[in-house]
Amino acid sequence: MEHTEHLEHTESPANMKKQIIQTFLILTFLTVVDIVLYFILLSSHSMFKNILFIFLGLVKAFYIVSVFMHMKFERKFLVRIIVFPMLFICFLIWLALTEADFTFGLR
Amino acid sequence: MSNTATLTTDSKQTWGGGKSPLSISYGKLMMWIFLLSDAFTFSSLLVAYGFVRFTFTSSLPNAIVKPFSHLSHSFTEEMQKAGMFVTERWPSPELVFNHFPFLHGLHLPLMFVSLMTFILIGSSVTMVLAVEAGHRMAKKEVERYMIWTIIGGAAFLGCQAWEWTNLIMDGASLQSNPFGPTAFAALFFIVTGFHGTHVLSGVILNIIIYINVVNDTYEKRGHYEMVEKVGLYWHFVDLVWVFVFTFFYLI
Repeated sequence: MEHTEHLEHTESPANMKKQIIQTFLILTFLTVVDIVLYFILLSSHSMFKNILFIFLGLVKAFYIVSVFMHMKFERKFLVRIIVFPMLFICFLIWLALTEADFTFGLR
Repeated sequence: MSNTATLTTDSKQTWGGGKSPLSISYGKLMMWIFLLSDAFTFSSLLVAYGFVRFTFTSSLPNAIVKPFSHLSHSFTEEMQKAGMFVTERWPSPELVFNHFPFLHGLHLPLMFVSLMTFILIGSSVTMVLAVEAGHRMAKKEVERYMIWTIIGGAAFLGCQAWEWTNLIMDGASLQSNPFGPTAFAALFFIVTGFHGTHVLSGVILNIIIYINVVNDTYEKRGHYEMVEKVGLYWHFVDLVWVFVFTFFYLI
């Protein structure tokens, strides 16, 4: 694809509007699922519940980033620039939760 | 897509100069890098929340208040007496965030925050529709969708102000918390406040962009890329809310 105009960008597909509406419906559906699950699991405090909600959050994040933020249509290299540093956050989470476990034991 | 094929087959052509190797303008790339740094800021705040949350035991299961039941005026005191709001235990979000405007006195756990979530998702959708209209150089459509985005953002801020007012009236602040550990209220105000500041600056940016659209700035420039850049920021704000919602209200 030769770009001669001064603005370079990756093209959106022709059915972009349809994809936007689909993503909107998915996000709405997942939020409703979140709320319904919250009431079903109201009285339980388990790690399973936490992981479930975090997983649903990550799915929503995936759809927002890939369609709304156009990430799906960008070059792989750009995707890697943004996504790989997120591993540091995973490390931070592991670090903080391990430490919190010890702090909990000290109480 | 042919762009990706070029990257893998002929890197000299991609990185040889003369064009953007990532097929993206510097402005958009810098917005992505900024959002990455902002993602780190928000994650450290949320990880701090996770840390503090993990050092407390969870609240007792709520068997006292059923959804849609009527609340008395001294609801917080009653909960404190019942042992639901004690400093040793993290409070259950359903007992803290249970108010709804115009439906005072009803126990409606999480209903208001769900409304806020839908408002923010909606404004995110109108924003991406504005971006899509910008690609087609449809000025009138960009204007219309930008207006809806601004309204959505302002509505969200209004909801947040209402919720904050409610909690502050109950006695929650950075130094005190009637619902349980002080850290709960402090972290809530810091994280939602930081997110709210982002929404506020997003609304201001959207207004500036809207004025530019109306004044034909982008029509003359030949493209609506500025809408895309602010759009990226706006979606990021929505993205952060997904996690704030998950950690503060659901878990």
